[in-house]
Amino acid sequence: MNDVLVLAEHLNGELKDVTFEMLAHARGVADASGTKVAAVLLGSGVGDLAERLAQQADEVLVRDHDGFAHYNSAVYQPVLADVIRGREPSVVMIGHTAFGVDLAPSLAVALDAPLASDVIDLAVEGSDLVGTRQTYGGKVNERVGFGGAAISLVTVRPAAFAPEEASRGGSVVALDTEVPDEPAFRRFVEYVEAAAGEVDITKSDVVIAIGRGIKEEENMPLITGLAELLGGVVACSRPVVDAGWLPKDRQVGSSGKTVKPKLYVAIGVSGQFQHVAGMKSAETIVAINKDPKAPIFQAAHYGIVGDLMKVVPALTEKITELRA
Amino acid sequence: MPSLADKYELLGCIQCGRCTAGCPVSLRTYLNVRKVVYDGLIGPAPKGAHERPEAWSCTTCATCTERCPKGVKPMELLIGLRGSSIERGKVSPTIRDALESTFKHGNPWGRGREKRTEWADELDVPVAGDGDAVPLLWYVGCTPAYDPRCQDVARALVRLYEAAGVGYSTLGAAESCCGNEVKRMGEEGLFELLVEGNREAFASHSIDAVVTSSPHCMNTLLNEYGGVADEVVHYSQYLAGLLDEGKLAFKGSVERKVTYHDPCFLGKHNAIFDEPRSVIERISGVEFEDLDRSRERALCCEGGGGRMWVEAEDERGERLADTRVKDAVELGADTLVTACPFCLLTLEDAVKTSGCEGKIEILDLAELAAMAL
Amino acid sequence: MNIVVCVKQVPDTAEADVRIASDGSGIEMEGLPLQINESDNYALEEALLIKEDRDGEVTVITLGPDSSEEVLRMCMAKGATEAVRLADPAFDGGDAWATANALAKAIGGMEYDLVLTGCMASDDGMTQVGVTLAEMLGVPHATYVTEMEIGDGAVTVGRELEGGLLEKLEIKLPAVVTIQTGINEPRYASIMGIAKAAKRDIDTKAASDLGLDTAEAGKAGSKTTLLGLDYPPAGEGAEILDGTPAEASTKLADVLKEKGFA
Ligand SMILES: Cc1cc2nc3c(=O)[nH]c(=O)nc-3n(C[C@H](O)[C@H](O)[C@H](O)COP(=O)(O)OP(=O)(O)OC[C@H]3O[C@@H](n4cnc5c(N)ncnc54)[C@H](O)[C@@H]3O)c2cc1C
Ligand code: SF4
Ligand code: SF4
Repeated sequence: MNDVLVLAEHLNGELKDVTFEMLAHARGVADASGTKVAAVLLGSGVGDLAERLAQQADEVLVRDHDGFAHYNSAVYQPVLADVIRGREPSVVMIGHTAFGVDLAPSLAVALDAPLASDVIDLAVEGSDLVGTRQTYGGKVNERVGFGGAAISLVTVRPAAFAPEEASRGGSVVALDTEVPDEPAFRRFVEYVEAAAGEVDITKSDVVIAIGRGIKEEENMPLITGLAELLGGVVACSRPVVDAGWLPKDRQVGSSGKTVKPKLYVAIGVSGQFQHVAGMKSAETIVAINKDPKAPIFQAAHYGIVGDLMKVVPALTEKITELRA
Repeated sequence: MPSLADKYELLGCIQCGRCTAGCPVSLRTYLNVRKVVYDGLIGPAPKGAHERPEAWSCTTCATCTERCPKGVKPMELLIGLRGSSIERGKVSPTIRDALESTFKHGNPWGRGREKRTEWADELDVPVAGDGDAVPLLWYVGCTPAYDPRCQDVARALVRLYEAAGVGYSTLGAAESCCGNEVKRMGEEGLFELLVEGNREAFASHSIDAVVTSSPHCMNTLLNEYGGVADEVVHYSQYLAGLLDEGKLAFKGSVERKVTYHDPCFLGKHNAIFDEPRSVIERISGVEFEDLDRSRERALCCEGGGGRMWVEAEDERGERLADTRVKDAVELGADTLVTACPFCLLTLEDAVKTSGCEGKIEILDLAELAAMAL
Repeated sequence: MNIVVCVKQVPDTAEADVRIASDGSGIEMEGLPLQINESDNYALEEALLIKEDRDGEVTVITLGPDSSEEVLRMCMAKGATEAVRLADPAFDGGDAWATANALAKAIGGMEYDLVLTGCMASDDGMTQVGVTLAEMLGVPHATYVTEMEIGDGAVTVGRELEGGLLEKLEIKLPAVVTIQTGINEPRYASIMGIAKAAKRDIDTKAASDLGLDTAEAGKAGSKTTLLGLDYPPAGEGAEILDGTPAEASTKLADVLKEKGFA
């Protein structure tokens, strides 16, 4: 096997957590196959990020260029394809993020390489790579092989692996791969920050989150009541925002807010990874869900399997009693 | 396409206004049914309820159609307008979701079919096997099967059947929505699909009699299915019969001051007023008194005609359910009994919204009866 | 403006006990209601809104079994003008690459300005087909789109990034855009409308109609291989507080009290 190549992802001068998570796991894969870990970093003015990556990787390949001031897959893709063709790594790891999802499949076509997306594990079995991914909302795991391809691509689910501290002092190699101009067919316009709402869910010690299990907007008072009692704020999963029951700034998860409250109560939330990504670091997580197999119970510390329409009123009553 | 005027016989309208005068929601919402008839006649006719959103305020109580001296069908017109919106896909997400769920899972509550019998998990409720003959079918209904509050009603009924020692069966997870509300939401195509499916399921079990938990199911199975069984009755009728025959007896006593809310689909639509009252009156300890507006004149709770899934907008005045609960409290009742899952849910909600918490309890007739066993 | 919308029929497994089929190739489908993939439904709605605004055709296309014609009919009931189904046993067992390849062959032969897909299939969670398709068609793409405005020969889109950040892009048409949920409010398809659509033609295409060799389709034409399915290992998971709602709530209230929340 050849190297494991990790594509570093960064925004506004900061490396994303998923980069370190991938580097940590890449180390295991490299050790198992007696190869090395290389990171590739494309950006503009990213010298210090390269140093940071060198603590984890054996080698950091950097292309520092104005053309990478913001992400554009149409610019990234040809450069990366060149780098990969030159290095011939056995596997390229890219974060399963808005960035990776936009980039990886087109890179796979350019390289004529297999891609397993959203893997939660990547292992070496004999001389073969095997990826594990979740299907059917986390109810079934799928093991995927790459048909013995010379170069394989994976996108890696954020938070699937734990990052590791290291001080490897890998080498930093500046690349001079040609960077094309931003093409007219895909032009970056701007980043727009979500408007701040009246409640900042990231500031509260107690967050009560509801999911699609709430079924109807009319059931919301049940949750607001509990939140008031516990001195918390009401947050939610994405479908609740899609339905227009709560504003977008209440959404917890990968495309919403990340919260780290002391107490997080997930009610009628199934616990898809995009949601869990935003609340997994809460100190105490409680889940209330009808489905004993809901993945949220894997993320929670305490769980009640039951109908929220019954459990929430009962809980509200018990807490009121305790208070009295 | 026949014009609205032809289809709903609007041409006879003399604009006397009796329809609006009798309409329970005319003061509560912006629905003025006479005006809708007028506009349907004078044109340009509305293309659907999306252009006349007040058409969604109708509870389909049928008062207007019944009171019209000229045989005009104002209620049918409103349902027709809803149907036109449905044809165009222009309905609110709540109605869309209820209809899609009914198509997909056989219930409007967005729950899986296989969960339909979950309420009975701890009980011994017979489910008819393939092709079994079922002399007496209990059609449980979607809301008693899925709604946590109404599941208590279904469980109370099981206790009553067991106490009376009657042999009955259910369709279990093979039961599908009756379509009463679906039809009134204007989704005629889906209604026909449900009728077809249910008729087939019924036919495969050679059913003699059907007992329903909900007046809504009873109404459509009895009046709109073209004869699915020799007899279709609401459970209040069935219980009254069991009491008459002495098969069921109340041994306990319930010390309560009770009044009764007539569900529209039991009372106004099907003239079943006496049986529920006779069940209540046979319970010892119960002190029964009727509300002022009762029987044919009963106030509607606004839960029917698909209104359970209509988002309340553009309303004015007090919700009728609030009025109803307050009237019951004023009467001095400590328990307001009804016999319909939608009434139960709307009235129970109204206890909170009208500030009557702690003053009155809403019970379903089946629950009250089971207390007296 | 002609729009092609790629749709997929998926089982609704939200509340279901998902069981792996005995041959290990997939899951037990019996008893699972089938529906249009959630984000595809939003993609279709977006296409219909554009069509209502500026005319043109909306063609829906799927690669799937016979049952997936139900989804095409539903799309036609909502206003799609044409429907195409890629149907061939040769397509069985294909991965995202093989699926995109077949779609690219079919769409490549059509006149289109815009291709919309859902951003992710809820069954396999692949999140690949849209971009792969764009690359195979040789047109630009944008993913996770929650805002879209059609301009002159171009479309300005808002891509949803992590943390609620929106990335605005302008891409030239023709292009492939993958739609994220919440971009609009999908309409209802009436049963009468679906029944009427049942009478309309669905253009079925086999691999050979697309000029695809069986070796390029389905399992044979895939880049990845399915090695097997398992149930996720039961991790440590939550401590389940059992009993009736009241009992479980008492236990939870005690825990919360102990931790200083109640
Ligand atoms: C790119 C991308 C980004 C995303 N970003 C986010 C994000 O930031 N945040 C996010 O939340 N999602 C996000 N999602 C969506 C995510 O994939 C899931 O679809 C979503 O989290 C599911 O929300 P849910 O758990 O509320 O709904 P569902 O998955 O439908 O779960 C509902 C749950 O409620 C339970 N339930 C139902 N009725 C009851 C009842 N009466 N009592 C108790 N339990 C009940 C059910 O058992 C089920 O587990 C994203 C998706 C994509 C593709
Ligand atoms: S009651 Fe009949 S005749 Fe009178 S206004 Fe209403 S519809 Fe017209
Ligand atoms: S059927 Fe509708 S419009 Fe007619 S009286 Fe009743 S609520 Fe009013």
